[in-house]
Amino acid sequence: MIEKGRISYLELALIMYATVVATAILYIPYVTSQHAKRDLWLSPIWGSLSGFLIVMIIVKLSKLYPGKTLIEYGELILGRTLGKIISFIYLFFLLHDTAIAFREYGEFIESAFLHKTPIIFVTGSIALSCAIAVHGGIETIGRCATIFLPIVLALYILIYVFLIPDLNVKNIFPIMQDGIMPSIKGSIAPHAWLSQFSLMSFLIPFLTNQQKVMKWGMFSVIASVLTMVFINLGNLLLFGGIISNLYFPVFEAARFISVGSFFEHIESMVIAFWVLGGFVQLSSFFYMLTLGTSQWLTLPSYKQFVLPIGFLIIIFSVWSIPSFEEMIQGMGTTMPFYFLTVQLLIPVLLLGVAVIRRKRSNSFLP
Amino acid sequence: MSCMIRPIKKTMTLMLLLCLTSIFLTGCWDRTEVNDLALILAAGIDKGKNKNIELSAQIYIPGGSQGGQQSGMSSGSSSGQSFVRSAEGETIADAMARLQEELTREVFWGQNEVLIIGEKLAKAGISDEIDFWMRHSEPRIRADVFVSKGRSKSVLGAKPELERDAAKQLRKIVKTHIGVKVTVKDLSQMLAGESAPAVLPWVEKLPPSLMDKKKEIPIINGAAIFKEGKMVGRLDDKETRGILWPRNEIKSGMITIAIDDENGYISLKLLRSHTELIPSIKNGQWSMHIKTNADLEVVQNTTKLNLFNSKVIKRSKQKVADEIEQRERLAFSEVQEKLNSDIFGFANEFQSKYPQIWKQKKDEWNEIFPQVAVSFETKVKIKRTGLATGKRQRGVEQ
Repeated sequence: MIEKGRISYLELALIMYATVVATAILYIPYVTSQHAKRDLWLSPIWGSLSGFLIVMIIVKLSKLYPGKTLIEYGELILGRTLGKIISFIYLFFLLHDTAIAFREYGEFIESAFLHKTPIIFVTGSIALSCAIAVHGGIETIGRCATIFLPIVLALYILIYVFLIPDLNVKNIFPIMQDGIMPSIKGSIAPHAWLSQFSLMSFLIPFLTNQQKVMKWGMFSVIASVLTMVFINLGNLLLFGGIISNLYFPVFEAARFISVGSFFEHIESMVIAFWVLGGFVQLSSFFYMLTLGTSQWLTLPSYKQFVLPIGFLIIIFSVWSIPSFEEMIQGMGTTMPFYFLTVQLLIPVLLLGVAVIRRKRSNSFLP
Repeated sequence: MSCMIRPIKKTMTLMLLLCLTSIFLTGCWDRTEVNDLALILAAGIDKGKNKNIELSAQIYIPGGSQGGQQSGMSSGSSSGQSFVRSAEGETIADAMARLQEELTREVFWGQNEVLIIGEKLAKAGISDEIDFWMRHSEPRIRADVFVSKGRSKSVLGAKPELERDAAKQLRKIVKTHIGVKVTVKDLSQMLAGESAPAVLPWVEKLPPSLMDKKKEIPIINGAAIFKEGKMVGRLDDKETRGILWPRNEIKSGMITIAIDDENGYISLKLLRSHTELIPSIKNGQWSMHIKTNADLEVVQNTTKLNLFNSKVIKRSKQKVADEIEQRERLAFSEVQEKLNSDIFGFANEFQSKYPQIWKQKKDEWNEIFPQVAVSFETKVKIKRTGLATGKRQRGVEQ
């Protein structure tokens, strides 16, 4: 096997949590509020359906092919040529997805602080530090997640704890003024983010123990959804009607903190801690892509691939998205369908074929 | 031998890595040093020539090294550690660029916590100017917003006695919650509402007759009322106190009552209060019930009444409730009937309770709002009556 490291259930849940949530909290509030308006906090709940469904499919597949990732069992299920093609589509999507994640990270840092710095330096420097983690293997990323994520999670909660005096509960009323549809329309972005749970298939083979993977996968989905609901709700209570005008409500909320007129202007610290979460997310994307590519090429080791792929990601993050506006526009329109098509359709196809094959081979056997 | 080399190699790699990090930690393009920044403490915007906007900025002068610890306090307040510059431009950002031309250091908005809008600009409309504060990444949306009588520039130049500068003076006053306190965020929220009503604190200068020195000090005296993003009128101090009750913003206050046939007054201090707006629509009649709960404490009693007598307390409570309601009525007659600006957030209340009716009638809100029947219900509790009594009281054996 290419990877010798092993991770625990908790590490799996935390890595997946970071992979989904780190950029979601920045972009989800704006994108969901465009359709859902006041009901934006309901949208991630509808979005959780994708998350649950995909975790179920992926866990089922990994039960059928223990110790194999999506790239490996794709070939076993569909045969060599078709399997390679499908895996390539998935890998190419993963490259695009990773590039988008790096770009999201970069665009945020650019809009918030480093206006003049070329984005390539922002994404490039985080990619370089991620490359060290990826080179260290899955265990390194798992340990990073266990160390960093409690801090990041505490940060998400603390932002709104400090803002309690400024929160106005009345802002959430009327709930579902125009029925359920706006919140469902708003949920397409959370669907996209939560569909990234299909990436779990790259981590499951490295679990020390495999029995309770379903439980922990679901736990991770629930935690991600709750975080999104919490963040959306916190922003709604703070900003009310103007939530749909703010591109980065979480950042604005952090800037708004002022406790006792001395504990204020702390956004730099908030971002510094947030970057820890971003680091785990980007490392995990980077790792999965590197691992997947090496498995697709059936190489004995992925380590020599780390830097070239990092380079490719950075180039892709510049190529694939023309501008910030188009990225935001895409998140609310095309991106969710693209994400769901690849991340839901491919696993469903694989599971369907695998189940049919199993039944046939069983019936042929005496 | 190889055992020796390995640790050295490791240390070398570590050192190299540490040196490499310094390359990434400098932030080359966006490097900003404190001594290259012109910190804006307060900003004022006025209507300039033609359609221009005039931006005035109060800029902090970093203290020289001669200040020291001892003289820091005294020289700080008197010699003035800031100056005011202004420039005109088509937008605030444009004016800012012009302002930058006159300064040796780069303008920095991160510490700006006061925004003053000149009267003329307020009357012409402010919605466009708020965009800068919301969009630009440096100004803080927690900055307090004011409307000044006359030009905002003159307010910025004032030198108050107790505080460092005009910006600090205004921020401190607004913190006492004597008048309304509105941040850029609040203003933007209000302007986003139906018919864009807003209320901002009104800044005037304390007349020289009330001061010993011939200096002008900005104070808050009432509030400016906006509709459709334009200033339509202003409330005096008393009326402003009246709008604080339904807005649930009243934090402190003194209420003095006279009891019918008695000589003298009873003064009570407000401890806390909570106001609830209860909307209802019955047979096409829109009405709003304003329910106030207030806790007070007696601080002075110049009547001969004994405050331990429950009858006296009951009568005083009634009087206090009447007084509060009267203040609110005064404010409503001005704001609701004359100015027709929904600064109490009635629109939101109706929207949350009657979302369906609201959707149909939304466009008629301008006509509906003055017709909303307002009723009051005030519950007063007198929590304490002070520490001692200073007078002989009726009904008490001496």
